Amino acid sequence: MFISRSLRAKATQLRSSPLQIRNRRRSYYTVDHPDPTPFSETESAILSSALSRVPTHGFSQKALKLGARDAGYLDVSTNLFPRGTFDLVNYHLVTRRMALKEEVQFPELDTQSGNKLGVGARVRILALARLRANKDIIGKWQDAIAIMAQPSYVSASLSELARLSDEIWYLAGDKAVDASWYTKRATLSAIYSAAELHQTQDQSPNFIETERFLDSRLEDLRKVSSLAGGFGGWVGYTAQSAVNVLRSKGVKI
Amino acid sequence: MSSASESISQAPSKPLPSENPSLTTEQRRYLESALRVNQAGELAAVLIYGAQTPPIVRAHPHLRPLMKHMYDQEAGHFTKFNELISKHRIRPTAMYPVWTAAATVLGWGTAIMGREAAMACTEAVETEIGTHYNDQVRTLLDWQENLKQNGQSLGPELEELLTDIRRIRDEELEHLDHAVEHDAKEAQPYEVLTNVIRGGCRAAIWVSERV
Ligand SMILES: [Fe+2]
Ligand SMILES: [Fe+2]
Repeated sequence: MFISRSLRAKATQLRSSPLQIRNRRRSYYTVDHPDPTPFSETESAILSSALSRVPTHGFSQKALKLGARDAGYLDVSTNLFPRGTFDLVNYHLVTRRMALKEEVQFPELDTQSGNKLGVGARVRILALARLRANKDIIGKWQDAIAIMAQPSYVSASLSELARLSDEIWYLAGDKAVDASWYTKRATLSAIYSAAELHQTQDQSPNFIETERFLDSRLEDLRKVSSLAGGFGGWVGYTAQSAVNVLRSKGVKI
Repeated sequence: MSSASESISQAPSKPLPSENPSLTTEQRRYLESALRVNQAGELAAVLIYGAQTPPIVRAHPHLRPLMKHMYDQEAGHFTKFNELISKHRIRPTAMYPVWTAAATVLGWGTAIMGREAAMACTEAVETEIGTHYNDQVRTLLDWQENLKQNGQSLGPELEELLTDIRRIRDEELEHLDHAVEHDAKEAQPYEVLTNVIRGGCRAAIWVSERV
Protein backbone atom coordinates (compact mmCIF):
# COMPACT_ATOMS: atom_id res chain seq x y z
CA MET A 1 0.00 0.00 0.00
CA PHE A 2 1.44 3.35 -1.03
CA ILE A 3 1.31 6.40 1.19
CA SER A 4 3.16 9.44 -0.05
CA ARG A 5 6.24 10.50 1.88
CA SER A 6 4.95 14.01 2.48
CA LEU A 7 1.69 12.73 3.86
CA ARG A 8 3.60 10.38 6.13
CA ALA A 9 5.72 13.31 7.30
CA LYS A 10 2.61 15.35 7.99
CA ALA A 11 0.99 12.50 9.86
CA THR A 12 4.13 12.05 11.93
CA GLN A 13 3.90 15.66 13.03
CA LEU A 14 0.52 14.73 14.40
CA ARG A 15 1.87 12.12 16.83
CA SER A 16 1.02 13.14 20.33
CA SER A 17 3.54 13.86 23.02
CA PRO A 18 2.97 13.51 26.76
CA LEU A 19 2.78 17.30 26.88
CA GLN A 20 -0.21 17.32 24.55
CA ILE A 21 -1.89 14.64 26.61
CA ARG A 22 -1.34 16.80 29.66
CA ASN A 23 -2.78 19.89 28.00
CA ARG A 24 -6.03 18.39 26.93
CA ARG A 25 -8.66 20.58 28.53
CA ARG A 26 -10.93 18.60 30.71
CA SER A 27 -11.10 19.34 34.34
CA TYR A 28 -13.28 17.65 36.91
CA TYR A 29 -15.82 15.80 34.81
CA THR A 30 -19.05 15.11 36.61
CA VAL A 31 -22.31 13.58 35.44
CA ASP A 32 -24.17 16.10 37.59
CA HIS A 33 -22.80 19.01 35.57
CA PRO A 34 -22.24 17.86 32.00
CA ASP A 35 -19.47 19.54 30.05
CA PRO A 36 -20.78 22.51 28.07
CA THR A 37 -21.70 21.59 24.48
CA PRO A 38 -18.82 22.48 22.18
CA PHE A 39 -20.86 24.00 19.33
CA SER A 40 -23.70 26.52 19.26
CA GLU A 41 -26.88 25.66 17.39
CA THR A 42 -25.92 27.82 14.40
CA GLU A 43 -22.41 26.38 14.27
CA SER A 44 -23.78 22.83 14.38
CA ALA A 45 -26.35 23.54 11.66
CA ILE A 46 -23.79 25.01 9.25
CA LEU A 47 -20.96 22.59 10.00
CA SER A 48 -23.09 19.46 9.77
CA SER A 49 -24.49 20.57 6.41
CA ALA A 50 -20.98 21.45 5.25
CA LEU A 51 -19.76 18.02 6.30
CA SER A 52 -22.28 16.35 4.01
CA ARG A 53 -20.73 18.38 1.16
CA VAL A 54 -17.25 17.07 1.98
CA PRO A 55 -17.43 13.80 -0.01
CA THR A 56 -17.79 15.91 -3.17
CA HIS A 57 -16.02 19.17 -2.33
CA GLY A 58 -13.46 18.08 0.27
CA PHE A 59 -12.64 19.94 3.47
CA SER A 60 -12.78 23.24 1.58
CA GLN A 61 -14.14 26.78 1.82
CA LYS A 62 -16.56 25.74 -0.89
CA ALA A 63 -18.01 23.01 1.32
CA LEU A 64 -18.35 25.51 4.18
CA LYS A 65 -20.12 28.02 1.98
CA LEU A 66 -22.49 25.42 0.54
CA GLY A 67 -23.12 24.13 4.03
CA ALA A 68 -24.13 27.60 5.21
CA ARG A 69 -26.53 27.91 2.25
CA ASP A 70 -27.98 24.43 2.83
CA ALA A 71 -28.64 25.35 6.44
CA GLY A 72 -30.39 28.57 5.33
CA TYR A 73 -27.63 31.06 6.19
CA LEU A 74 -25.89 33.69 4.10
CA ASP A 75 -22.43 32.92 2.69
CA VAL A 76 -21.02 35.57 4.99
CA SER A 77 -21.92 33.48 8.04
CA THR A 78 -18.81 31.37 7.34
CA ASN A 79 -17.14 34.25 9.23
CA LEU A 80 -18.32 32.38 12.30
CA PHE A 81 -15.38 30.09 11.64
CA PRO A 82 -12.13 32.04 11.92
CA ARG A 83 -10.16 28.82 11.53
CA GLY A 84 -11.95 28.13 8.25
CA THR A 85 -11.55 24.60 6.95
CA PHE A 86 -9.88 23.50 10.19
CA ASP A 87 -13.17 24.20 11.98
CA LEU A 88 -14.82 21.80 9.59
CA VAL A 89 -12.20 19.10 10.26
CA ASN A 90 -12.50 19.76 13.97
CA TYR A 91 -16.28 19.41 13.82
CA HIS A 92 -15.90 15.97 12.31
CA LEU A 93 -13.36 14.97 14.98
CA VAL A 94 -15.35 16.28 17.92
CA THR A 95 -18.76 14.98 16.87
CA ARG A 96 -17.40 11.53 15.93
CA ARG A 97 -15.65 11.33 19.29
CA MET A 98 -18.76 12.34 21.19
CA ALA A 99 -20.93 9.90 19.22
CA LEU A 100 -18.90 6.89 20.40
CA LYS A 101 -20.63 6.92 23.76
CA GLU A 102 -24.08 6.52 22.21
CA GLU A 103 -23.19 4.33 19.26
CA VAL A 104 -21.00 1.61 20.68
CA GLN A 105 -22.68 -1.23 22.53
CA PHE A 106 -20.45 -3.96 23.85
CA PRO A 107 -21.41 -7.62 23.51
CA GLU A 108 -21.49 -9.47 26.81
CA LEU A 109 -18.90 -12.01 25.69
CA ASP A 110 -15.92 -11.95 23.36
CA THR A 111 -17.09 -13.42 20.04
CA GLN A 112 -13.76 -15.20 19.47
CA SER A 113 -12.76 -16.52 22.86
CA GLY A 114 -16.15 -16.67 24.53
CA ASN A 115 -14.66 -15.05 27.62
CA LYS A 116 -15.99 -11.95 29.30
CA LEU A 117 -15.04 -8.87 27.32
CA GLY A 118 -11.92 -7.23 28.73
CA VAL A 119 -10.76 -3.64 28.59
CA GLY A 120 -8.42 -4.42 25.67
CA ALA A 121 -11.24 -5.93 23.60
CA ARG A 122 -13.40 -2.91 24.33
CA VAL A 123 -10.61 -0.55 23.27
CA ARG A 124 -10.41 -2.44 19.98
CA ILE A 125 -14.17 -2.22 19.41
CA LEU A 126 -14.19 1.51 20.14
CA ALA A 127 -11.16 2.32 17.96
CA LEU A 128 -12.67 0.35 15.10
CA ALA A 129 -16.04 2.06 15.48
CA ARG A 130 -14.31 5.43 15.41
CA LEU A 131 -12.36 4.49 12.27
CA ARG A 132 -15.53 3.26 10.55
CA ALA A 133 -17.16 6.60 11.32
CA ASN A 134 -14.72 8.06 8.76
CA LYS A 135 -16.50 6.11 6.03
CA ASP A 136 -18.15 9.06 4.26
CA ILE A 137 -15.17 11.37 4.24
CA ILE A 138 -12.20 9.00 4.08
CA GLY A 139 -11.65 9.88 0.41
CA LYS A 140 -10.89 13.46 1.48
CA TRP A 141 -9.12 12.66 4.74
CA GLN A 142 -5.67 13.32 3.26
CA ASP A 143 -6.73 16.97 2.78
CA ALA A 144 -7.74 17.00 6.43
CA ILE A 145 -4.36 15.63 7.52
CA ALA A 146 -2.67 18.41 5.54
CA ILE A 147 -4.88 21.01 7.24
CA MET A 148 -4.23 19.60 10.71
CA ALA A 149 -0.48 19.61 10.05
CA GLN A 150 -0.46 23.38 9.48
CA PRO A 151 1.62 24.92 12.27
CA SER A 152 -1.24 26.90 13.79
CA TYR A 153 -3.46 23.82 14.09
CA VAL A 154 -1.01 21.10 15.13
CA SER A 155 -1.51 21.69 18.81
CA ALA A 156 -5.33 21.77 18.63
CA SER A 157 -5.28 18.59 16.51
CA LEU A 158 -3.06 16.76 18.96
CA SER A 159 -5.20 17.81 21.89
CA GLU A 160 -8.23 16.44 20.10
CA LEU A 161 -6.37 13.19 19.43
CA ALA A 162 -5.55 12.99 23.14
CA ARG A 163 -9.22 13.58 23.97
CA LEU A 164 -10.19 10.71 21.67
CA SER A 165 -7.74 8.35 23.39
CA ASP A 166 -8.99 9.44 26.78
CA GLU A 167 -12.58 8.89 25.71
CA ILE A 168 -11.80 5.39 24.42
CA TRP A 169 -10.03 4.32 27.63
CA TYR A 170 -12.84 5.84 29.66
CA LEU A 171 -15.64 4.17 27.70
CA ALA A 172 -13.70 0.89 27.73
CA GLY A 173 -13.99 1.04 31.51
CA ASP A 174 -10.30 1.47 32.30
CA LYS A 175 -10.04 2.80 35.84
CA ALA A 176 -6.27 2.83 36.31
CA VAL A 177 -5.01 6.16 37.58
CA ASP A 178 -1.30 5.45 37.98
CA ALA A 179 1.62 6.25 35.68
CA SER A 180 0.19 3.85 33.07
CA TRP A 181 -2.47 6.49 32.47
CA TYR A 182 0.03 8.37 30.28
CA THR A 183 1.56 5.45 28.42
CA LYS A 184 -1.88 4.07 27.59
CA ARG A 185 -3.07 7.33 26.09
CA ALA A 186 0.14 8.02 24.20
CA THR A 187 0.25 4.51 22.74
CA LEU A 188 -3.37 4.46 21.70
CA SER A 189 -2.99 7.89 20.06
CA ALA A 190 -0.04 6.62 18.04
CA ILE A 191 -1.82 3.41 17.02
CA TYR A 192 -5.03 5.18 16.15
CA SER A 193 -3.38 7.82 13.97
CA ALA A 194 -1.31 5.19 12.16
CA ALA A 195 -4.48 3.17 11.49
CA GLU A 196 -6.25 6.27 10.22
CA LEU A 197 -3.40 7.02 7.86
CA HIS A 198 -3.56 3.44 6.63
CA GLN A 199 -7.31 3.83 6.16
CA THR A 200 -6.88 6.67 3.66
CA GLN A 201 -5.48 4.04 1.24
CA ASP A 202 -7.85 1.23 2.15
CA GLN A 203 -10.13 0.12 -0.71
CA SER A 204 -11.28 -3.12 0.95
CA PRO A 205 -14.94 -3.68 1.81
CA ASN A 206 -15.91 -2.35 5.23
CA PHE A 207 -12.24 -1.44 5.87
CA ILE A 208 -11.18 -5.02 6.52
CA GLU A 209 -7.56 -4.06 5.74
CA THR A 210 -7.64 -1.29 8.31
CA GLU A 211 -9.15 -3.64 10.86
CA ARG A 212 -6.26 -6.07 10.28
CA PHE A 213 -3.74 -3.29 10.58
CA LEU A 214 -5.31 -2.13 13.85
CA ASP A 215 -5.34 -5.67 15.23
CA SER A 216 -1.70 -6.27 14.44
CA ARG A 217 -0.65 -2.98 16.10
CA LEU A 218 -2.72 -3.80 19.18
CA GLU A 219 -1.18 -7.26 19.23
CA ASP A 220 2.36 -5.75 19.12
CA LEU A 221 1.37 -3.54 22.01
CA ARG A 222 0.07 -6.49 24.00
CA LYS A 223 3.33 -8.38 23.48
CA VAL A 224 5.51 -5.44 24.39
CA SER A 225 3.53 -4.54 27.47
CA SER A 226 3.44 -8.06 28.83
CA LEU A 227 7.22 -8.13 28.43
CA ALA A 228 7.56 -4.91 30.36
CA GLY A 229 5.20 -6.16 33.05
CA GLY A 230 2.08 -4.29 32.02
CA PHE A 231 1.60 -0.85 30.62
CA GLY A 232 3.16 0.69 33.68
CA GLY A 233 6.27 -1.45 33.37
CA TRP A 234 8.66 1.46 33.21
CA VAL A 235 7.56 2.57 36.65
CA GLY A 236 9.22 -0.59 37.83
CA TYR A 237 12.64 0.96 37.46
CA THR A 238 12.12 3.17 40.45
CA ALA A 239 13.50 2.98 43.92
CA GLN A 240 10.35 1.28 45.09
CA SER A 241 11.06 -1.84 43.11
CA ALA A 242 14.74 -1.68 43.97
CA VAL A 243 13.88 -1.79 47.66
CA ASN A 244 11.26 -4.48 47.15
CA VAL A 245 13.51 -6.62 44.99
CA LEU A 246 16.29 -6.51 47.57
CA ARG A 247 13.80 -7.35 50.31
CA SER A 248 12.45 -10.26 48.34
CA LYS A 249 16.00 -11.56 48.03
CA GLY A 250 16.18 -11.56 51.80
CA VAL A 251 18.29 -8.44 52.21
CA LYS A 252 17.30 -6.93 55.54
CA ILE A 253 16.54 -3.39 54.55
CA MET B 1 -14.58 26.89 21.58
CA SER B 2 -12.13 27.13 24.45
CA SER B 3 -12.63 30.90 24.46
CA ALA B 4 -16.29 30.34 25.22
CA SER B 5 -15.52 28.20 28.22
CA GLU B 6 -12.89 30.72 29.36
CA SER B 7 -15.51 33.44 29.55
CA ILE B 8 -17.76 31.19 31.61
CA SER B 9 -15.05 31.04 34.24
CA GLN B 10 -15.28 34.78 34.80
CA ALA B 11 -19.03 34.78 35.32
CA PRO B 12 -20.45 33.84 38.73
CA SER B 13 -22.31 30.54 38.73
CA LYS B 14 -25.91 31.02 37.66
CA PRO B 15 -28.47 29.85 40.21
CA LEU B 16 -30.08 26.66 38.93
CA PRO B 17 -33.23 25.10 40.26
CA SER B 18 -31.50 21.71 40.31
CA GLU B 19 -30.12 20.16 43.47
CA ASN B 20 -26.62 20.53 42.14
CA PRO B 21 -25.31 24.03 41.61
CA SER B 22 -23.39 24.53 38.37
CA LEU B 23 -19.65 24.71 38.72
CA THR B 24 -17.59 27.51 37.22
CA THR B 25 -14.58 26.60 35.12
CA GLU B 26 -12.45 28.03 37.90
CA GLN B 27 -14.07 25.74 40.45
CA ARG B 28 -13.61 22.73 38.19
CA ARG B 29 -9.93 23.58 37.84
CA TYR B 30 -9.60 23.93 41.59
CA LEU B 31 -11.17 20.53 42.19
CA GLU B 32 -9.06 18.99 39.46
CA SER B 33 -5.77 20.14 40.90
CA ALA B 34 -6.81 19.56 44.52
CA LEU B 35 -7.77 15.95 43.86
CA ARG B 36 -4.61 15.36 41.83
CA VAL B 37 -2.46 16.58 44.72
CA ASN B 38 -4.44 14.53 47.22
CA GLN B 39 -3.93 11.36 45.21
CA ALA B 40 -0.19 12.07 44.87
CA GLY B 41 0.05 12.78 48.61
CA GLU B 42 -1.67 9.56 49.59
CA LEU B 43 0.45 7.58 47.14
CA ALA B 44 3.48 9.00 48.91
CA ALA B 45 2.02 8.26 52.36
CA VAL B 46 1.34 4.61 51.49
CA LEU B 47 4.88 4.24 50.18
CA ILE B 48 6.52 6.03 53.10
CA TYR B 49 4.78 3.87 55.71
CA GLY B 50 5.30 0.79 53.57
CA ALA B 51 9.04 1.45 53.35
CA GLN B 52 9.37 2.41 57.02
CA THR B 53 7.53 -0.55 58.46
CA PRO B 54 10.05 -3.43 58.05
CA PRO B 55 13.11 -1.68 59.59
CA ILE B 56 11.05 -0.07 62.36
CA VAL B 57 9.16 -3.21 63.29
CA ARG B 58 12.39 -5.24 63.28
CA ALA B 59 13.97 -2.87 65.79
CA HIS B 60 10.83 -2.14 67.80
CA PRO B 61 8.32 -5.02 67.53
CA HIS B 62 5.84 -3.27 69.85
CA LEU B 63 5.30 -0.62 67.13
CA ARG B 64 3.86 -3.15 64.71
CA PRO B 65 0.16 -2.47 65.50
CA LEU B 66 0.66 1.30 65.28
CA MET B 67 2.51 1.11 61.95
CA LYS B 68 -0.14 -1.21 60.57
CA HIS B 69 -2.96 1.01 61.78
CA MET B 70 -1.45 4.09 60.11
CA TYR B 71 -0.59 2.18 56.94
CA ASP B 72 -4.15 0.83 56.66
CA GLN B 73 -5.61 4.29 57.03
CA GLU B 74 -3.29 5.65 54.32
CA ALA B 75 -4.24 2.77 52.03
CA GLY B 76 -7.89 3.73 52.58
CA HIS B 77 -7.17 7.36 51.72
CA PHE B 78 -5.28 6.34 48.59
CA THR B 79 -8.16 4.11 47.43
CA LYS B 80 -10.63 6.93 48.02
CA PHE B 81 -8.71 9.43 45.90
CA ASN B 82 -8.00 6.86 43.19
CA GLU B 83 -11.75 6.35 42.88
CA LEU B 84 -12.41 10.07 42.73
CA ILE B 85 -9.66 10.69 40.15
CA SER B 86 -11.11 7.97 37.94
CA LYS B 87 -14.74 9.01 38.44
CA HIS B 88 -14.07 12.65 37.60
CA ARG B 89 -11.69 11.80 34.76
CA ILE B 90 -8.80 13.76 36.22
CA ARG B 91 -5.34 13.06 34.91
CA PRO B 92 -2.97 11.74 37.60
CA THR B 93 0.22 13.72 38.21
CA ALA B 94 2.86 13.33 35.50
CA MET B 95 5.40 13.07 38.36
CA TYR B 96 3.90 9.78 39.53
CA PRO B 97 7.11 7.75 39.01
CA VAL B 98 9.18 10.51 40.63
CA TRP B 99 6.98 10.67 43.73
CA THR B 100 7.05 6.88 43.89
CA ALA B 101 10.83 6.91 44.06
CA ALA B 102 11.10 9.92 46.38
CA ALA B 103 8.58 8.63 48.91
CA THR B 104 10.18 5.22 49.08
CA VAL B 105 13.64 6.68 49.61
CA LEU B 106 12.29 9.06 52.25
CA GLY B 107 10.47 6.31 54.13
CA TRP B 108 13.31 3.85 54.02
CA GLY B 109 15.98 6.49 54.70
CA THR B 110 14.30 7.86 57.82
CA ALA B 111 13.49 4.37 59.09
CA ILE B 112 17.12 3.24 59.04
CA MET B 113 18.03 6.45 60.88
CA GLY B 114 15.88 5.08 63.70
CA ARG B 115 12.48 5.26 65.30
CA GLU B 116 12.75 8.96 66.22
CA ALA B 117 13.70 10.02 62.69
CA ALA B 118 10.87 7.95 61.22
CA MET B 119 8.43 9.60 63.60
CA ALA B 120 9.88 13.04 62.79
CA CYS B 121 9.29 12.27 59.13
CA THR B 122 5.66 11.39 59.92
CA GLU B 123 5.30 14.55 61.98
CA ALA B 124 6.68 16.76 59.21
CA VAL B 125 4.66 15.13 56.43
CA GLU B 126 1.41 15.10 58.39
CA THR B 127 1.82 18.74 59.41
CA GLU B 128 2.01 19.80 55.77
CA ILE B 129 -0.73 17.43 54.65
CA GLY B 130 -3.03 18.47 57.50
CA THR B 131 -2.64 22.15 56.54
CA HIS B 132 -3.23 21.27 52.91
CA TYR B 133 -6.50 19.42 53.64
CA ASN B 134 -7.56 22.23 55.95
CA ASP B 135 -7.25 24.70 53.08
CA GLN B 136 -9.49 22.52 50.94
CA VAL B 137 -12.08 22.19 53.69
CA ARG B 138 -12.05 25.98 54.06
CA THR B 139 -12.52 26.50 50.30
CA LEU B 140 -15.45 24.07 50.14
CA LEU B 141 -17.02 25.73 53.17
CA ASP B 142 -16.66 29.11 51.44
CA TRP B 143 -18.46 27.78 48.38
CA GLN B 144 -21.15 26.34 50.60
CA GLU B 145 -21.59 29.69 52.38
CA ASN B 146 -21.95 31.57 49.07
CA LEU B 147 -24.44 29.07 47.73
CA LYS B 148 -26.47 29.22 50.93
CA GLN B 149 -26.95 32.94 50.43
CA ASN B 150 -28.64 32.11 47.09
CA GLY B 151 -30.74 29.43 48.73
CA GLN B 152 -28.62 26.62 47.28
CA SER B 153 -26.49 23.82 48.61
CA LEU B 154 -23.22 22.22 47.55
CA GLY B 155 -25.11 19.23 46.21
CA PRO B 156 -24.62 15.61 47.29
CA GLU B 157 -21.38 15.04 45.39
CA LEU B 158 -19.43 17.93 46.91
CA GLU B 159 -21.00 17.46 50.33
CA GLU B 160 -19.67 13.91 50.30
CA LEU B 161 -16.26 15.19 49.24
CA LEU B 162 -16.27 17.69 52.11
CA THR B 163 -17.11 14.91 54.60
CA ASP B 164 -14.38 12.67 53.18
CA ILE B 165 -11.70 15.35 53.26
CA ARG B 166 -12.62 16.28 56.83
CA ARG B 167 -12.42 12.67 57.97
CA ILE B 168 -9.11 12.13 56.20
CA ARG B 169 -7.70 15.34 57.65
CA ASP B 170 -8.64 14.20 61.16
CA GLU B 171 -6.90 10.89 60.56
CA GLU B 172 -3.76 12.68 59.36
CA LEU B 173 -3.76 14.79 62.50
CA GLU B 174 -4.16 11.62 64.54
CA HIS B 175 -0.97 10.31 62.82
CA LEU B 176 0.73 13.55 63.76
CA ASP B 177 -0.19 12.99 67.42
CA HIS B 178 1.10 9.41 67.32
CA ALA B 179 4.39 10.62 65.89
CA VAL B 180 4.86 13.21 68.64
CA GLU B 181 3.90 10.65 71.32
CA HIS B 182 6.59 8.38 69.93
CA ASP B 183 9.39 10.88 70.39
CA ALA B 184 9.51 12.54 66.98
CA LYS B 185 11.02 15.57 68.73
CA GLU B 186 13.96 13.47 69.95
CA ALA B 187 15.20 12.94 66.40
CA GLN B 188 18.69 14.22 65.65
CA PRO B 189 19.05 16.67 63.95
CA TYR B 190 15.35 17.43 64.43
CA GLU B 191 15.24 20.92 62.93
CA VAL B 192 17.17 20.07 59.80
CA LEU B 193 15.27 16.86 59.21
CA THR B 194 11.77 18.28 59.63
CA ASN B 195 12.54 21.46 57.71
CA VAL B 196 13.95 19.57 54.77
CA ILE B 197 10.99 17.19 54.69
CA ARG B 198 8.40 19.94 55.08
CA GLY B 199 10.05 21.97 52.33
CA GLY B 200 10.04 18.90 50.13
CA CYS B 201 6.32 18.34 50.80
CA ARG B 202 5.47 21.92 49.91
CA ALA B 203 7.49 21.68 46.70
CA ALA B 204 5.84 18.39 45.80
CA ILE B 205 2.37 19.87 46.37
CA TRP B 206 3.26 22.89 44.25
CA VAL B 207 4.48 20.69 41.40
CA SER B 208 1.56 18.25 41.56
CA GLU B 209 -0.96 21.08 41.43
CA ARG B 210 0.56 21.99 38.07
CA VAL B 211 1.79 18.82 36.43
FE1 LIG C 1 -3.43 9.99 54.28
FE1 LIG D 1 -1.24 10.32 57.22
